[in-house]
Amino acid sequence: MSVLLFRQPLPNVTRPQMEADVVIVGGGPAGMACALRLSQLIDNHNGKNPDSPLSKENIYVLEKAREIGQHCLSGALLDPRSMRELLPGFEKEAPLDAEVSQEAVYFLSRHSKFKFPVTPPPLRDHGNYVISLNRFVKWLGGKVEEAGITIFTGFAGSELLVEGDRVLGVRTDDKGVDKDNQPKGNFEPGYDLRAKVVILAEGSRGSLTKQLIGRFQLDRDRNPQTYGQGIKELWEIPAGRVAPGQVIYTMGWPLTSKEYGGAWIYGGKDNIVSLGFVTGLDYPDPRLDPQRVLQEFKRHPFVKGLLEGGKMVRYGAKSLPYGGWWSVPPVSGNGWMILGDSAGFLNSQRLKGIHLAIKSGMLAAETAFAGMLKNDFSATTLAGYGRAVDSSWIKDELWKVRNFHQGFEHGFWHGMFHAALQQVTGGRGLHARYAAHAGHRRLKKLSELPPDGGGEAHLLGNAKGDGKLTFDKLTDLYHSGTKHEEDQPAHLVIHDTDICNARCVQEYGNPCQHFCPANVYEMVEDPAVSCGKRISLNPSNCVHCKTCDIMDPYEIITWVPPEGGGGPNYDGM
Amino acid sequence: MADTILVVVEQREGKLNRVSWETLTAGQGIAADMGWTLEAAVLGKGASGLASEIAAKQLAKVYAIESPALEPYTPDAYVFALKQFLASHQPRLVLMPHTYQVRDFAPQLAAALKRALISDCIGYKHEGGKLLFTRQMFQGKFAADVSFSGEPPWFATFQNGAFRGDQVKAGSAAAPIETVTIQIPEGTVRNRPHEVFKEAKQAVDLTQAEIIVAVGRGIKEQKNIELAKQLAEALGGEIAASRPICDAGWLPMDRQIGSSGQTVAPKLYLALGISGAIQHIVGMKGSRTIVAINKDSEAPIFEVADLAAVGNLFDIVPPLIEAIKKAKAGA
Amino acid sequence: MKQVPQKDAPLKLNESGAWIREDVSYEVNEPDAYALEEALRQKEKHSGEVVVITAGPARAQQVLRGALAKGADRAIHLEDAGFVGLDAFNTSRAIAAAIREEKFDLIFTGLQSDDYGYAQTGVILAELLGWPHATIIMQIEKSDSGIRVKRELEAGFFQFVDMPLPAVLTIQSGINKLRYATLIGIKQAKNKPLRKVSMGEVQSALGPNGLKIEKLYVPEKTKNTEMLEGSPAEIAKKLVEKLRNQVRVL
Repeated sequence: MSVLLFRQPLPNVTRPQMEADVVIVGGGPAGMACALRLSQLIDNHNGKNPDSPLSKENIYVLEKAREIGQHCLSGALLDPRSMRELLPGFEKEAPLDAEVSQEAVYFLSRHSKFKFPVTPPPLRDHGNYVISLNRFVKWLGGKVEEAGITIFTGFAGSELLVEGDRVLGVRTDDKGVDKDNQPKGNFEPGYDLRAKVVILAEGSRGSLTKQLIGRFQLDRDRNPQTYGQGIKELWEIPAGRVAPGQVIYTMGWPLTSKEYGGAWIYGGKDNIVSLGFVTGLDYPDPRLDPQRVLQEFKRHPFVKGLLEGGKMVRYGAKSLPYGGWWSVPPVSGNGWMILGDSAGFLNSQRLKGIHLAIKSGMLAAETAFAGMLKNDFSATTLAGYGRAVDSSWIKDELWKVRNFHQGFEHGFWHGMFHAALQQVTGGRGLHARYAAHAGHRRLKKLSELPPDGGGEAHLLGNAKGDGKLTFDKLTDLYHSGTKHEEDQPAHLVIHDTDICNARCVQEYGNPCQHFCPANVYEMVEDPAVSCGKRISLNPSNCVHCKTCDIMDPYEIITWVPPEGGGGPNYDGM
Repeated sequence: MADTILVVVEQREGKLNRVSWETLTAGQGIAADMGWTLEAAVLGKGASGLASEIAAKQLAKVYAIESPALEPYTPDAYVFALKQFLASHQPRLVLMPHTYQVRDFAPQLAAALKRALISDCIGYKHEGGKLLFTRQMFQGKFAADVSFSGEPPWFATFQNGAFRGDQVKAGSAAAPIETVTIQIPEGTVRNRPHEVFKEAKQAVDLTQAEIIVAVGRGIKEQKNIELAKQLAEALGGEIAASRPICDAGWLPMDRQIGSSGQTVAPKLYLALGISGAIQHIVGMKGSRTIVAINKDSEAPIFEVADLAAVGNLFDIVPPLIEAIKKAKAGA
Repeated sequence: MKQVPQKDAPLKLNESGAWIREDVSYEVNEPDAYALEEALRQKEKHSGEVVVITAGPARAQQVLRGALAKGADRAIHLEDAGFVGLDAFNTSRAIAAAIREEKFDLIFTGLQSDDYGYAQTGVILAELLGWPHATIIMQIEKSDSGIRVKRELEAGFFQFVDMPLPAVLTIQSGINKLRYATLIGIKQAKNKPLRKVSMGEVQSALGPNGLKIEKLYVPEKTKNTEMLEGSPAEIAKKLVEKLRNQVRVL
């Protein structure tokens, strides 16, 4: 087995065609909010215009997971602002774990901690709710279905159908293709969903969004998007340690001043605690392993004290867009709109994006509705969405933190200095617009780094784990419930494996082995290869976090959706 | 009349299915625990001949139920014959081995009598005055103790390997044998079976294998799998593997054991060079006996193994194959 | 078809210890998916109607919707949380009562369920309906007198059996590749007839359960790992002894 074959749409296949008015790719908070708002607008319209009703029959949500919410992962803290607009009184029926009761921010050193006497304003969470995003989206999805909008679960948007400057629709994944890209007995070709408007709500580093940005060069004149990787474990701990609604943020240990990131610990109900670490994907040492970082974090006496005697019940990881306002691409065009994390609507200072995703979904729905009324989804009509975002509180909120993450490009202390400055200048800081550099460009070559890792040694390489408090990656991975149809082509498309086997192995030491939280990438011994090792993939381990697509130093990995229905199972996350 | 346990043994073409001894062992155990009488029945052509084999064991009586319509096996004929037999001999408990054949007719028999059947049990308990039957649920994740809440006769079937066939006690004297002839009316049997035949197996269903020899990365190279296959053959078992082996294409996907492959609970699971990552363990931890051979004394597989050898599998397996062959020949 | 907890879902016992907590994800019982696939193939070969039935709470409807999306024509939902606690005999009685007015030619069930694993419902149903049955079926062909089925036996043996119709068959897993539901199929499923049957409608056919789960527990595997030591030859010898006397496979 020497040649790695990758997933690509099968050529010479007749694809079933299906017409649609609106196709929303992605059933997360943004996509669901969009669908629900659109349904509300249509119901309202139909109530007033019974003779010329609009139909919901041809509005679809494509969700690649087998079940709604299965791929949704976040801390999470929900700022209820947009939900209150979407569904006033939602608190009465939504699955909310707890209202935030107390917050504390700590700076950790190796053995001790320093508590911020005053919680920095951006991290004040009173009025917010601790939720499980998975459960929340399940509930929200239930409402979308009740409203009569079809959610196709187990179907991924694998390609955009484009003609000239127009997006014509979405092609769904081919099902029943074997490892050698041959159709199996139960082969079903992907559908060509010809839609009047395609709304991309794929979450962070969406694959269709990436295609769109590349195709139309939507990133020119913008800061490159930068990312973080959030790794989360859900724990069941002895009662009384962390109260429901208790929020803890930490900075510092185990990261050094060279890395960006921090941790969260949120108290849920039933003695369940959500804890995780976000590592900025712009660290210098390619041997850094974010899963290891999380394990080191847990070994800190403060954290250990909270978790001791408890049981880890679930694991997962996802990337988050940190770039802020200057990285947001144009959000609409001829037949398309982009929502939520796919657009980069995340407040990296507050570490919150769900409320922004929901609001963007609502605004896009309003524009889509306007389009449905006129039956016109041209760039001119859809530009209404961008304008709406510009004059909404999405802009207000993101404008204030527009230079936040960039300030950290020269390390933690610089970042804090700039952040303080930005606080008093309405977000401006030293420059109107701080530049940003794509995170993967900041990886240093092994030759430029101390062989043993120096001050970062404790962050590098795979975690061993003690099996009780800390875990090796495979054990953690098992708790993500990730499952895929085994006999299918690899969906991590590596455009030139020679680079992996000959160049990367020397220059960066194949960081994919470390930054992937799911052990998808492995270098296995192969005497036939000049460097003695070659890249091997375990694609069915993938948790769909997109880190590889973001962080590989040569930009040769493209993540495409595997066969729909596969992926992690973030029950309760 | 004392409470009786009736064990219905299974025969195939004039030979007793060995698993019936296990059911007899169970029957003897329950009879002793409850103070009940144990009897056995065998059906079909040549039943009388087989009856004497059974009668040599410790039990009160053996019935040879005969009827030309019982050959070949059909569920209708078996159910009719047993229903009639049970009407006149009223055992409290009817035990059978959980074989494919029993699965085919036992539910029909129980339903015809409007009685309950607890199938695929792995043991029994006498607790709190009740007779409880233990069975696996949710693919081995849980065990359940189940009791009968209806009227006797009660029906239960035991899983292969739940009891030791070689532990069945011999009787001090041969038990009496009674031949029962049943007239099965024309038209009772609705199925017409043809000759049984063997076929090269297509997809393998590892969940039905009693013995599995599984290989992991410790096997090092594809050509070494041959050694493991020889061991499997010597034991009369199936070859299986952990995920990396199947991913590499060294064994087909349907041989994979683990969270992304099959979940098995055979009588014997031999893990060669398998480290015991949790993804694999969940697929086999329900096995009755786990034997692990691995070079690494810290391998997690040793935490679930019943029998363990820390060593080089390439040194241990060849003499193991020889010793097994010798033991089988000698026995 | 039955809805069962997802295969790798972490299951927990409820307070009474007699059942599991129901707040888990569910899926179609895998053997039933093969039964459905076989039914759909038969329909493709000989035309006809495929009807799917399930007994369970509201959440079980998912199983029916999925089947309709794959090509089944009609669905019957015996909807009540109470159906979960019925034993195989009662479940079969409920199903038989619900399909009283129907005129089916063939009834397929999966081999057994992934949660209980009793492997009885199909056979009991046949008895209640007064129909012939066959189990662990690999293949079905139409014949002049009805059907000819291929039964799987132990140890690699098979057997053909001629049967009249109507009949009940329990289908072996893995005999076919399961088809995927298509977008059109999912859309069309919404408009296919789904008849709900309440517990009240079939209550009279049921009786008290014939068996009772007294306790559900995690099997204690007292792991006393016995280490075998010595030279490879010695280890081999000791192991064979164990295999013979303790494990009894030799």
